[in-house]
Amino acid sequence: MFGEKALELIRELHRNREGTLAPYNEDGVRQVLEEMQALYEANQQDVSQLVQNESDQTSLTAVQIRHDSLQRNKRCLLAYLYNRLQKIRELRWEFGSVLPANVRSNMSPKEMEWFSKYNRTLANYMRSLGNGGLDLTQDMQPPQNVHIEVRCVEDRGELELDDGSKILLKKNSMHFLPRSQCEHLIRQGVLKQVT
Amino acid sequence: MEHSELEFSAEKQKLKIVPNFSMDKIYFISGDVGPFKAGLPIDVPLWLAISLRQRQKCVIHPPDWLNVATLQEIKESEMAAELFTKLPNEHFREISQLLLTHAKHNMHHADAIRTLVKDIWDIRAAKLRSSIDKFVHVQASHARIDNITRMEINLARPFLLDSLNHLHSLRRSKSL
Amino acid sequence: MDDTLNISGLSDDEEHLTSSQVLQQLEEIWMNERLSPNLMVCRSDITDCILEQIQEMEENISKAQKNELKVSLHQLEVDRIRYMLSSYLRCRLEKIEKYASSLIKEAADGDQSRLSPEEYTFARELTSGVEAHLMSSALRLMPKNLQSLNLQEYAPSLDRYVFLRVNSPEEGVIVDEETDQNNGDKIDFEVGAQHIMRYKPIEHFVESGVVSLL
Repeated sequence: MFGEKALELIRELHRNREGTLAPYNEDGVRQVLEEMQALYEANQQDVSQLVQNESDQTSLTAVQIRHDSLQRNKRCLLAYLYNRLQKIRELRWEFGSVLPANVRSNMSPKEMEWFSKYNRTLANYMRSLGNGGLDLTQDMQPPQNVHIEVRCVEDRGELELDDGSKILLKKNSMHFLPRSQCEHLIRQGVLKQVT
Repeated sequence: MEHSELEFSAEKQKLKIVPNFSMDKIYFISGDVGPFKAGLPIDVPLWLAISLRQRQKCVIHPPDWLNVATLQEIKESEMAAELFTKLPNEHFREISQLLLTHAKHNMHHADAIRTLVKDIWDIRAAKLRSSIDKFVHVQASHARIDNITRMEINLARPFLLDSLNHLHSLRRSKSL
Repeated sequence: MDDTLNISGLSDDEEHLTSSQVLQQLEEIWMNERLSPNLMVCRSDITDCILEQIQEMEENISKAQKNELKVSLHQLEVDRIRYMLSSYLRCRLEKIEKYASSLIKEAADGDQSRLSPEEYTFARELTSGVEAHLMSSALRLMPKNLQSLNLQEYAPSLDRYVFLRVNSPEEGVIVDEETDQNNGDKIDFEVGAQHIMRYKPIEHFVESGVVSLL
């Protein structure tokens, strides 16, 4: 059936999980392009016969169907490529200008090219803001109140803060700390946030 | 919009604190605050109040509507009214939530307050659901929605707008 | 400290606004931009002014004692404002990426108020990158008569419904253009009233501040 392979590319987009990029389906893209070439050639042939002979309703219908299949294949293929760019764009905002290796290895060389151009375009724009620019990939969330109250769950010894001061993390001791400097300890279960 | 964005926006509202320290006026971009005198009440934006509270540097005075008696009245009139009543503050839910989190110990009967806030919210949520149903059902192209807060609109938005946009395109295709 | 700022480009008469007034304007355009289906008119006058304020304050903070209470409160405020400004500009960038081609076309057709010069450059570079990619990865390998590309069809839908609050009165607002001839669907905007309706008929009211999106 015409258009099956193109549809498969679209299905692939929908299967793509959040935060990842499926491998570029080079084979799939090539097969759609080949199918398009075949449809095009078949149409050329029918059309030139139509011009020579009396008009034949059957081949006219065939031409129309092939024409529609060509348009459909084109749409699907462009949607596939365009949506992948969107995805790569999202990942750029999530991970920064250097994408994780498992994402990069799933990009086509042309997508890599597009990505570095996108990076340049974005960097140029951000640099143009005010004096010295503004990094829009930072400050993604409203600033939470900078300090939070935590209770220490286990003895952990001394913790040095960014401002040079030191605190002693003793079991059951309470502390009032900058969120940014104790988030990892909360994740590790050393500290517990008190509300 | 995100819940956190609405909370962020609510945090600019002013309320009273009593600082336990003294300090000169601070020239913020958003306006001057201070001078602070230990023991003297002063109006500051909520974000500042919360930050000072977290540093144990002030006591927060909840707004005059955030108490059991007033909330009880609001709850009763919300139940009695067919339409939405006007809440004492546009950021009713956000402010209640923030203060119950950060200034619980500065409030009398915090648990009762929490329950009342939730009750009022639930009564309004039920109204919101039935008015959405009505609106979508009669296929109106416009409606008055006075007194509904941003937070409530935000909760209703995804569902309501999808149905409306869908209905609109159906109406258009019919009239073509 | 001089707390009045000169905002240029607003109108012919000199307007002096305090930084807190400009900040209020930023919050207003931020909310509207987050809630409007299309890209709103660019307000570099506001964003430039705020960015300048932030950068000046950050410079002062970097020179001051970090652990002083006053300094950390200033830092907190700057973080808040920088977040709001970044969120606003990010939201615009997202829309620009989505509708780049139709925005460029609009600018070429004479309406150049929507994009700032920097945003325009961004949109141009972006579309040329996307076009080049689609061209070299697929279109150029297709039969000749299928190689055309039209990205301009990606335009925002102004028929979307929005929620709004009225800031200043307005009479006889048309709700639905399709029923214009029977003159039935007109409403009056009363201050403080809230409505739900389609975006298209009130787009210019959002720009002029007659209404705010909710």
